[in-house]
Amino acid sequence: MSLGSSEPQTVALPSRLTSEELEVARLIVSSLSLEVAAEEIDPEAPLFNQGLGLDSIDALEIALALSKAYDVKLRSDDERNHRIFASLRSLTAHIEKHRAR
Amino acid sequence: MRSEAGEFIDLARNTAWPLIPRSPEEVICFRNGQAITVGAFLAEAGALAARLPPAGQGVALHAINLCTDRYRMLVGFVAALLRGHVTLLHADPEPGRLLALAGRYPGAYVIADGEQREFPLPAFRLAEGDSAAGEVVAVPEIPVERIVAIGFTSGSTGEPAAHPKPWGALVAAAQAAAERFSLHGSGAAAVTLLATVPPQHMYGFETTIMLPLQAGMAIHAGASFFPSDVLDALAWLPTRRVLVTTPLHLRALLAEGRRPAALEAVISATAPLAASMAEAVERDWQTPMLEIYGATEAGSMASRRTVREADWLPYRGVELREAGVQVPGLGEVALADVLEPSGAGRFRLLGRRSDLVKLGGRRASLADLNRRLLEIEGVEDGVFVAPDDLESNPGARLSAYVVAPGLTAEAVLAALRTRLEPLFLPRPILLVPALPRDRLGKLSRSALAGLRVPATGPA
Repeated sequence: MSLGSSEPQTVALPSRLTSEELEVARLIVSSLSLEVAAEEIDPEAPLFNQGLGLDSIDALEIALALSKAYDVKLRSDDERNHRIFASLRSLTAHIEKHRAR
Repeated sequence: MRSEAGEFIDLARNTAWPLIPRSPEEVICFRNGQAITVGAFLAEAGALAARLPPAGQGVALHAINLCTDRYRMLVGFVAALLRGHVTLLHADPEPGRLLALAGRYPGAYVIADGEQREFPLPAFRLAEGDSAAGEVVAVPEIPVERIVAIGFTSGSTGEPAAHPKPWGALVAAAQAAAERFSLHGSGAAAVTLLATVPPQHMYGFETTIMLPLQAGMAIHAGASFFPSDVLDALAWLPTRRVLVTTPLHLRALLAEGRRPAALEAVISATAPLAASMAEAVERDWQTPMLEIYGATEAGSMASRRTVREADWLPYRGVELREAGVQVPGLGEVALADVLEPSGAGRFRLLGRRSDLVKLGGRRASLADLNRRLLEIEGVEDGVFVAPDDLESNPGARLSAYVVAPGLTAEAVLAALRTRLEPLFLPRPILLVPALPRDRLGKLSRSALAGLRVPATGPA
């Protein structure tokens, strides 16, 4: 690899959603009736408070939607609960790891 | 002194009432797979009390009990009580709100558990292993008129309204609830109560802090938020299990589709329960679905079995008055709801007296929300709107129409976030060129509805 050559340079793009993340984002948007496009959710922004601005009632709704769609059960006791809900990306990773189908 | 079959506090005669008229060997809590006895609990509360500041000279000190673990909330409440302090029923650890509270209650301190966190006030932490320290404490009698806790509601002016709770009123309400729901019992007949409501909320405080002190029952301390938490915990708890919850949690539990372990009863409060949900609980879980009607100002006042009764049966000693209720130990309390006698000693709820909206067990005044919206720089006009199904549909939220040339909806939302509890943030914010005010400056719902762009709403 040669520095300063005319090779195409990788530009830092805003982080994009994977297809799994997009699926989870759509589920969240529809189950919470959010008025944002699923595609526009920053996968690394916090879901609660500052990011999407979700609250504890939403957490219950999301848990319900994930249970139905993926048979993934969220639990408070889960030590990593804060990390799971940290962002769309972490939530999707948790689902991918635990989904039953 | 046991109120097993009904020794009730008589506020005309009793000047004091025991903190906990129970035997030391009875179980008061199930936590981390273990049963905690009344004796062990009192020892732990006594040990914490010894660490707390001495009572102020002539003025009561105030404890802000932020504990998320229900058992520790109970330990902290009783420790403060033993010290002569008043517990402030406030669950929000946000430093600004804690400082605002300390401004109103000088000398306020924090009792907390859980992850390490900095507090802007003196803080006392509860951690594992504290229980080993204490000696068994003699059970004191508490003067019935002593204020032991203060509940808060959002006032129409922005400053939360304080509702002081004398010991006698809390005891009377706990006894009335225990009587109404048959919560007394000992040994194999003892009730264990699992709640999805925080102990700092008035409903959660009355059911999961006051009831185990005054009725022969145990509470579950542990996670109980998500349906899986609740179902797992119920399966582990001994019978007779009672689930204390809200329409929001019940909806999630019913939708989860798994039948919980056999229940003695389910109790719901904070918002009227849809008849269809009450029917589903009775049919699918084979248990009575009971509802409590209460308010932070007055505490629990009445109950009903939703599938059979539309009207509410007042608790022992509670009587209807012109603009509210007469409550033992509190006197006449004004209510935000309009109640109407409906015969046979029952009453019907007719609606709200004011512009209060209720969401997730929290209340706000629309006028106050509007005032806060208009405080934002760049907002020229604006109004919050509550949908008709706000209390029955968990997905329903407030929305806001805002006139703010030069601001984006995101900017308005960010500014509101610093001013409002998250639950009341509008979803969505609709930016409009002007509000359709009439000549008197008033807004009608229909005129507002006309502003909505053709809905792109969810399927």
